[in-house]
Formats: sequence, C-alpha cells, structure tokens
Amino acid sequence: MTGHAPGHRPRRQEGGRRRAGRALTAPTTVLGALGMVGMALLILPLWALVARSPWRDLVDLLGDRTVRAALRLSLVTSLAAVAVSTLLGVPLAWLLARHEFPGRAMLRALSLLPMVLPPVVGGVALLLAFGRRGLLGQPLAQLTGVTLPFSTAGVVVAESFVSMPFLVVTVESGLRIADRRLEDAAATLGAGRWTVLRRVTLPLIGPSLAAGMALCWARALGEFGATLTFAGNLPDRTQTMPLAVYLQLERQPEVAYLLSLLLLAVSVAVLITLRDRFLRAP
Amino acid sequence: MSLQAQLSHRLGPLRLEVELHVARGVVTALLGPNGAGKTTLLRLLAGLLAPDAGRIDLDGRTLEDTAAGVRLPPPLRGVGFVFQDHLLFPHLSALDNVAFGPRARGVPRSDARRHASDWLVRVGLNDHAQARPRELSGGQAQRVALARALAAGPDLLLMDEPLAALDAESRLTVRGVLRDHLARFSGVCLLVTHEPIDAITLADQLVILEDGHIVQQGPVDVVARQPRSPWVARLVGLNLYRGRADGSHVRLDGGATLAAGTRRFGEVFAVVHPRAVALHRHRPEGSPRNVWRGHVDGLEAHGDRVRVHVDAAVAIVAEVTPAAAAELDLAAGGPVWVSVKASEVELFGA
Repeated sequence: MTGHAPGHRPRRQEGGRRRAGRALTAPTTVLGALGMVGMALLILPLWALVARSPWRDLVDLLGDRTVRAALRLSLVTSLAAVAVSTLLGVPLAWLLARHEFPGRAMLRALSLLPMVLPPVVGGVALLLAFGRRGLLGQPLAQLTGVTLPFSTAGVVVAESFVSMPFLVVTVESGLRIADRRLEDAAATLGAGRWTVLRRVTLPLIGPSLAAGMALCWARALGEFGATLTFAGNLPDRTQTMPLAVYLQLERQPEVAYLLSLLLLAVSVAVLITLRDRFLRAP
Repeated sequence: MSLQAQLSHRLGPLRLEVELHVARGVVTALLGPNGAGKTTLLRLLAGLLAPDAGRIDLDGRTLEDTAAGVRLPPPLRGVGFVFQDHLLFPHLSALDNVAFGPRARGVPRSDARRHASDWLVRVGLNDHAQARPRELSGGQAQRVALARALAAGPDLLLMDEPLAALDAESRLTVRGVLRDHLARFSGVCLLVTHEPIDAITLADQLVILEDGHIVQQGPVDVVARQPRSPWVARLVGLNLYRGRADGSHVRLDGGATLAAGTRRFGEVFAVVHPRAVALHRHRPEGSPRNVWRGHVDGLEAHGDRVRVHVDAAVAIVAEVTPAAAAELDLAAGGPVWVSVKASEVELFGA
C-alpha cells in the first residue's frame, strides 16, 4: 500500500476490505452454528447410548441366552456373507474394472444399486427371486428341496445382497488404480496369467480388498430390513443382533442397549481399521 | 543368431512400419523424437502388444507371424524388459523381485533366491536384498530392475529409456553398471533412448526411428558424421541440407546453391559443422565460395562456445567463441554475413 498516492484506489480497496470482512464473518457464524447442530445430531445419540448403557450388568448380560444366540448367529452369518461377497465380488470387480463389454456401465450401476436401495425393498425382491414361489426359488425347491427364506442360509443371502456392493466398489477402484504395467513386467519375466494374478494383481489390491472386506462386514453385521423381510425373526435361526435389538427394546431394554453397544464398538473398530482411507483429511 | 522383425501397427496417430535386423552381441540403440513409436516397437517385440501384421524371429524361433497365426505370449518369448520407471513389484523385497523370473519359470524358491542374490551382488546391491522398492533410490531401483531382467536369462533384452528418470549422479552410476552388463550380455539387446550421450556410451549401433519409420541405421560414428534426417543432425549438432548435386555444386531443395569441396552427382545430403561456419559484420572479401546474408535468430550457450542460429535463404547454425560473439555485436534480429569454405561442405549420397 505504501507509495500509493491518495486517490481512488486506496479508498476502493478499503471498501473492498470492509465488504470482504462482512462476507467473511457472516458465513462463519451461520455455517459454524449449523455445523455444530449437525455434529450434535450425529454424536449426541451415540453419547447417550454409551452414557445410559447398563455398564454394571455388562458381564451378566453377556451370559443372557438371547444375547449369546444373537451374537453367535450374527458373527457366523456376517462372516459367511463376507466370504460369499469376496468369492463372488472380487471376480465381479475384476470383470467391471478390466473388461470392455457392451452394457458395462449399466451392469456396474445395477450391481451397486443395493447400496442405495431401501433394504426392505431388497428383502421383498429377494423373496420374489428366492422365495418358495420365487423365480429361482421354486425350481430350486423342486430340484433340491432347499428353501432359503426363514433359514440361516437366507440370512447370509440377504446380508450378501446388501453388503457385497461395498466390496465390489472398493476392489474395483483398487484394480483401476493398480499399475497394469506391473502385470506386463511380470509377464515378460515368464509369469503366466494365473501366476500374475496370484503374485502381482492380488497383492497389489490387498489394501483395497481388506478395506472392502471391512466395509462389507460392517454392513452385513448391521443388516436389518432385508433380513427381517426375507428371513424373518426366528431366535437361533435368523434372529441376528440388529433384529434382537429391535425385539428386546420392549421386553428387556438392557439387552437391547448392550447389543447396540457391541454393534457400536464393532463400527468404531472398523472405522479405525479404515482410518487411512476415510479419516485422513484431504 | 539375431533378431529379425518386420512389423506394421497402427496406434492412434502413429503408423509404425518397421523392418529391423539386430545381431547378437551388438548393443543397438533405438533413437527418435517423442511419439516416433520407440516404446510401441519394444512392446510389440515383447508381445505386450499384438501387431496388425508382421513377423518376429529370434534366433530361428518364430515369436510372431500374423500370416501363419503364430503368436507366442510374453512369458514364453524369453524377453527381458527394463522400464523407464523400474516397475519393481512394490510388495516384494529387492531379492524377491530379482527371484521373480526364475520362480515364475519353476525354479524352487531357495535356488531362485540364491540365483537372485548372485545378481544383486553383480549390480552392487547385496546390502539391499531385503529392502522394499520404496526404500531404494531411483538409481538403486533401476539396478535391481536390470538384475531382475537379466536373472530370468533372456535371449532378447529390451530397455525403454532406462536412464531417463534418474538424476544426473545416479545416471552416471547406472550407466556404468549398464555398460558392464551389456558388454557381457550375449543375447540381442535393444535400448531405447533420446539421449545421444547414452547411445554413444552404451551402443555399438544406432537405429533412428522417426514417425514410425526407420530413417537411418548404422554404426554410431557413421550416423553421427552423416546424419540423414534433420532430427539426427540437430541431435549431433550438425547443419544438414538435402539437394541435387551437379559436380561440386548442390542445388538445395529451397532453391539456394552450395559449393562443395568434393564432386558428386544426383540426390545428396550436405553436412556443415557449426564450427566451420564463419560470421561477419560486413560482406567478407577473399576466397570462401559460400557467402550469404541473414539475420540472427537466436543465441545459446554450448559448452564454452556460443551457438548462433542464423535465419537466411540457407538457415544455418554457427558456433563461435564468446569473444567473437561480443566483437560481432550479435543480437537477435540483427543482420549478419555468413561464409562457409567449399571444402567444409561434405556431401554423401541420399
């Protein structure tokens, strides 16, 4: 500013600074306040859950039959869903990432749809496909006698349906980011396609695969709508932790609190595992 | 025993049309401007890219023959590939990177590791066997990449600008390592570069690729002395003209005439070394037979000399001492007289 003769420019700059000052304070105050309310909305309920949980009866409640059954069933089905999603989702991600074919964009959109689909709609769709009278369920029942609805296998199917897309997107982006010339390098060194896949491609997408599996597991563990619709709420067979929470909230609230706390702990653990992916500010 | 390739391939704007013959034990550098198709040619030879048409034979083995439908996949070609940015496997140690080739060919793990360890010793990196690629410097990584390519025992070694990504100091080290190993390598070796110094220090033979076509090939000194394209002439720092000779006079393509010291007839290239070009403030008197007037187009430092680009009927680059440049009061756009002795104009057949 020094060296400027007094005249129009400095005055206009002063005015400009005043305008900029007002423009700076106003949004900070308004947006800041709204942001705090938003944060409270996200954090307060979780704080309440932690604060009001029956910490003293924690050990006793862990021995509760309903709790143990739901816990065991949730672990088994969610891990099975992760296994199914990995076995089928990795090849699907590979297909989407590495192959050009007509309708690929459409196929990708369809396979990611369950991420945004209301889970209850997923449950209805699963019933229509795999139900006793379903499109595939009827021939399946006639040929093998196997029926999926209201069975533990049905829970796994429902959980896979809603959680596999999370694994597919994560692995697909991992495959896209991986430098394909590393595969070229491996090929020139004498590695056949299966060796390249096993010793180069899969290790390269390892971090993405781990992140995808963690997301997939968290989603499967929390699954409620599709499971309830497709597999019902049968203790020991289809009553997973979220279903037990919902049911016990009226009968034994402490049990519901405890189960919720456990699910919260799992979510926090998953978030911590994925911290490099999501928690690092850009 | 050699590599013989005849390939044609289209890739975007590039039309590659190449007939190449490289003998064993003769390190051949493939030079050319960006986008000339050097990397594409290497990828075609390695089998990473399928040609539209062509045939590749290596020591009597047919690697590719589109007419007969023969196409050997990359793992079966016996090719070693060294990439510009080393492309070491990030999840493997230096040792396991080098052991990758032997392992992929079925050598048991412990034997492959011993073999790899020998190779790391040979490139001077036995201390870094357990290091991950990200823990290595660029020069070290490129030496590991060279060891990895050679440990697989290739018949054909392809190197795509192996020194381009390195800083000046590690470039010197890696160039030395490369020279040692290339001298001992008994297979066919093709090295892509755009650095004349790499080509001169590492290669016996040059192949110049421009716009998908081989414009010149031959021993390094011949190409350097008698360039056959403006790009090569610029590369080696010579003035190159093309025209029709009638005895000791050459009518250039632009219409001007040059007097030469030797007699030739027909289509010729004329080469003038920048140091043989004299500059004057006034029209020179005396014997030089090539005299013309032009304007200074630009000045650049070149070692302890100054290169003066002169725009004229016959555009030319002159190399003068800084003292001479100062004395002539050269400045961009200023007028200048150029003279070249006829004996300094060298002719060779086009």
